[in-house]
Amino acid sequence: MNSAVAPLPTPGRAWHGQATLTFERRGERTVPQAQTQAPLKVQRPFYPEGPSLCQSVLLHTAGGMVGGDRLSYDLHLKANAHALVTTAAAAKIYRDHPQPAQVNGTVRVEPGAWLEWLPQEAIVFEGAQYHQNWRVDLAAQAHWLGWDVLRLGRTARGERFCQGEVRSRFEVWHDGQLIWLDPQRLVGSKTLWQSPHGLNGCPVIGTLVWVGAVPTDEVITAVRAIWEQQPNPQGEAGVTALQRGLLCRYRGASTSAARRWFIQVWQLLRPHYSDTAATIPRVWQR
Amino acid sequence: MPFGHESRFMNLQLTQGRLLTLLQLSSPALPIGAYSYSEGIETLATQGTIATGSDLFHWLSQELNSGSIRLEAAILRWSYLAASQPDFEALARWNQWLSALRETAEMRSQSWQMGRSLLRLFADLEPELTEQLPGFARQGDCNFAIAYSLVAQAWQIPLEEAAIAFLHSWAANLISAAVRAVPLGQTEGQRLLQQLTAPIQTAHAEIAAMTEADLMACNWGVALASMQHEALYSRLFRS
Repeated sequence: MNSAVAPLPTPGRAWHGQATLTFERRGERTVPQAQTQAPLKVQRPFYPEGPSLCQSVLLHTAGGMVGGDRLSYDLHLKANAHALVTTAAAAKIYRDHPQPAQVNGTVRVEPGAWLEWLPQEAIVFEGAQYHQNWRVDLAAQAHWLGWDVLRLGRTARGERFCQGEVRSRFEVWHDGQLIWLDPQRLVGSKTLWQSPHGLNGCPVIGTLVWVGAVPTDEVITAVRAIWEQQPNPQGEAGVTALQRGLLCRYRGASTSAARRWFIQVWQLLRPHYSDTAATIPRVWQR
Repeated sequence: MPFGHESRFMNLQLTQGRLLTLLQLSSPALPIGAYSYSEGIETLATQGTIATGSDLFHWLSQELNSGSIRLEAAILRWSYLAASQPDFEALARWNQWLSALRETAEMRSQSWQMGRSLLRLFADLEPELTEQLPGFARQGDCNFAIAYSLVAQAWQIPLEEAAIAFLHSWAANLISAAVRAVPLGQTEGQRLLQQLTAPIQTAHAEIAAMTEADLMACNWGVALASMQHEALYSRLFRS
């Protein structure tokens, strides 16, 4: 299958970027502590919503990942700390060689704290191998809202995701109970691309998850209504309740359609775990 | 292999008595409400995505080939082995995994309701065997695949036959749902079930070889269809 692909580069070439971010509440303020290893960097924190919410922006200075590259994230929210973490640009996963590019993340959120993990989309080139693996541990009085948007193949260049493989695993625990387990494996093929069971000809898939409390029917209805009220909804969407949370899925042709809906859902959900209104990070306003 | 004492249970023979019990356990006539669920097929029929027998065949073979029914069937096997030990802690863990793996609230309710109904029926048929079941199995959130494995193990039905019959029974139920929702002819439905014999056997063999690291699936189509089912205006089915 991959016989035409160039052999592995020398082992020393692969990056292993790391970011360890700890957020601690000191009085009114959430104070970040960051340790990073290239090519990951963290920009200076922003406080657009006041001192309790720290916005951190991660920057990938190498511009993209090739096979064999790894990124490790370790995010720790101490009691009552509030943080929004995003990325400065879309991630690119290049088609390179049969080794996967790997992202591993661990998240711990202590009582009274919450984390929003809202990265920009990842563009997985056709033929690329991309594995991501996230484990989120939430205390009883803690919340996590995360999203993940993938563009599979550069459609503008005529790519379809008929080769390559994406493995994406999210595992979210709340108060010691496994709430959401999402182990996806998308093996690029014509059938995966075309089938309504798989991608249905759509290059973009997106997931938004909130875990921390049981959502009311009204919230579920409101999140669905936001989708239905999109001026020109491209693609299809679904919303459902988790045991202690809410899940949205998008499958379509447009990262901006996914992002527009997800931003509005995030803004709708924010009051359910915080008394500050959600302010869009400046880095998204390209 | 997650368990060490497997060989002991591989020696179970499918006696005529056990075959008949398995036919009863996997029968669509078992009163556990399976007929009232479509797992998103009603949405797909409404949208026109599944309009013919070949659309349905494609959908079900994709599910067997890469979908989340594989995760259920794999966990069913591990749960059967845990029940043979018996290892109640492992059983409770697999049950929690299945609840967390279900795509949607509707499919989670379906799995819990069918699990509950099966265990209630089993308690009426086998009051003494029921006393040996783990405590969580009486709490109402026992997933169907777990309940099925508990009952199959208690009745000493060999694992391989119990597991492949589970897949067959799943396919038969969804075909029956599609026959009503699309609609399709009864003969067409039976033809499709027969055509699924090979994909079911392939999936069964692959699932038997799975380890925890292989617990992955592609569920985009099913998840969206099931989520949209929850918002359908007019519904015949409960999922």
